[in-house]
Amino acid sequence: MKKIIRLIAVSLSLGIAPPALADLKVATALEDLASVAQFVGGKHVTATSLCKGYQDPHFVPAKPSLMKAIQNADVFISVGLELDGGWLPLVIPGSRNPKIQPGAKGFIDASEEVNVLEKPTGTVSRAEGDIHPLGNPHYYVDPANLEVVADHLARIFSELDSDNADEYKTNAKAFDEKMEESIKGWEAQLKPFAGTPIVVFHENFIYFTTRFGLKIFGTVEPKPGIPPSPRYLTDTAQAMKTAGVKVVLYQPYYDADAAQQLAKKADGTAFEIPTEVGGVPQAKDVFSKFDFIVSTLVKSFSTK
Amino acid sequence: MKTYIRIFVCPLLLLCVAIPIHAQTRSIISNLANPAIGMSALFLGQAAPNLTSPGSTGPGFQEAEISLISTVDPLWTLAGNFTFDAGSGVAEEAFAISDSIPNVQIKVGEFRAAFGKHGTLHTHAFPFIQAPVIMSNTLGEEGYKNAGIEAGWMTPLPWYCELTLGAYRQSESSPDHPLNFNGGSMDNIPYLVHLKNLIDVDDDTTFELGGSALTGMGDDGFHHAVYGADLTFRNIPLRQSNQRGWILQGEYLRKVSFDQTAANFETDGWYGSFQYRWGQEWWSGFRVEEAFNSVSDISDNPTDTSLSGHVQRASVNIAWLPSEFSEMKLEYGLAKADNPVDGSTQFDNRVMLQFNYIIGFHPPHAY
Repeated sequence: MKKIIRLIAVSLSLGIAPPALADLKVATALEDLASVAQFVGGKHVTATSLCKGYQDPHFVPAKPSLMKAIQNADVFISVGLELDGGWLPLVIPGSRNPKIQPGAKGFIDASEEVNVLEKPTGTVSRAEGDIHPLGNPHYYVDPANLEVVADHLARIFSELDSDNADEYKTNAKAFDEKMEESIKGWEAQLKPFAGTPIVVFHENFIYFTTRFGLKIFGTVEPKPGIPPSPRYLTDTAQAMKTAGVKVVLYQPYYDADAAQQLAKKADGTAFEIPTEVGGVPQAKDVFSKFDFIVSTLVKSFSTK
Repeated sequence: MKTYIRIFVCPLLLLCVAIPIHAQTRSIISNLANPAIGMSALFLGQAAPNLTSPGSTGPGFQEAEISLISTVDPLWTLAGNFTFDAGSGVAEEAFAISDSIPNVQIKVGEFRAAFGKHGTLHTHAFPFIQAPVIMSNTLGEEGYKNAGIEAGWMTPLPWYCELTLGAYRQSESSPDHPLNFNGGSMDNIPYLVHLKNLIDVDDDTTFELGGSALTGMGDDGFHHAVYGADLTFRNIPLRQSNQRGWILQGEYLRKVSFDQTAANFETDGWYGSFQYRWGQEWWSGFRVEEAFNSVSDISDNPTDTSLSGHVQRASVNIAWLPSEFSEMKLEYGLAKADNPVDGSTQFDNRVMLQFNYIIGFHPPHAY
């Protein structure tokens, strides 16, 4: 018995992670956050996402292997606004990593300081589907919000790794400047199509449409998290025809058949658009993600 | 006794020198002073030719569970589950969890022991309406619930490998808890060892292999123990994680008693099940199971004919989930029990319809 206790004690000491050094191991709940973290952190950060871009971020299976993957992370960046509330409350405690538990310095809620849209007012009820009671959590689909995230991460990284604080701030500033330039380019491309109505699969595109002057006509889902019935698709298609809406957008993790059926009934076209980095192979980081979204939208509006 | 005290005092001492964590108000569970509160409710209707007692067939209120959880302070999270049925309400679980020791999770309170797979599930999370027969014969239909302390260590092995050690209060056996751990000596600390391994076969599929042992001294002079092994293949396509997938699972449990001179086999059994998700709203399942020397009466009604002895059962179900928060499950089970005492064979030929609802906050179910 004494030998067993000694063995356990030695193994425990081996399992304890070493103090965080200059390099930060960063894990995130979304590829977009990993992309921003990598830009801000540069060579001093290794950022990985538990949720792949082609996965629905609401429904990530809380596999124990995800807990293992962040066992020694120095930082964990949550999307916040309960987008990852269906799996993160299992994965974070299951990691047994005190550095990244909520309340610890290494736990970051990336939604802090973001201007949140669609905060529910009045009674909040699941009669409206699987709603997000803290507001729409898909803020990362507005490229300007990623500047806010970058600045936030730079502050936290600087606190955790003060030796490289200047570099984090410089990188965040460079990221912001590059993003501002890119936004101007995207705005210029979409300006001719301002006010164009589109149908989206889920209520995850409001930040993009608000930024770039598009309009959301409706959703393929009748309510968040509720699959469409044939009757709903028919009625929505009829409404689209009446209003001249021709474009339906869906993400790789949604039911492409439902989106394509709706588009066909409305004499329109359905396009697969990523809202997350990694959603399509071309969306390798936050910049190429928006490049792809904008170019696909321009093509769809030009060919309707 | 001193050794046991050292084993379980050490983790608590480590907790006291854990890395200091700056207190902040933000939490991923609740950002408010009030705990996160949720409730689940189960309503069950059933019919079977062998259920003849008044009230044993037809619709009924099966169970409701109210759960609360909140962060206590930088070290602890507290959770409680209170269940109610038509006749009573009990504090089913109330426990505190700490993740402040690197790689170790401490759990203190009254809770389901980390034994096997089915034994860790709440009733509303059962994949089949009826629990496997072997559960009632060994740990209890809803697993082994008792007051105690558990420490789960995530090992440094390259795959997910968790070793859990638990120590519990002495307890007597009952119809819900068949294990006699009521030996009154100070040396009697019922304890658990559980090893869980989970490997990603690929992005979509995992393989899990576990082993568990729970033992303690009874008030009959014997040690009583349950041993278990479980194996699960689970597939959740990453691109369609809430639309497709399947689970193939099997578990074996064996209950024994022993002293220094002899070991007595009491009962054992197994189940194997396959569940398939064929749409966002649809699941189907099929399970076969067998229990030897079964002592629990699966008719679940003391005035009807007891179905015990060598029990074999096959169950099939279909479930409709219009959202994550409601479920309707239709299940058919055919059981055959060969009673070794009187040589009779009894059948339980049962149709069940269960309604399952969740309101408020509900923590994600374990993978």
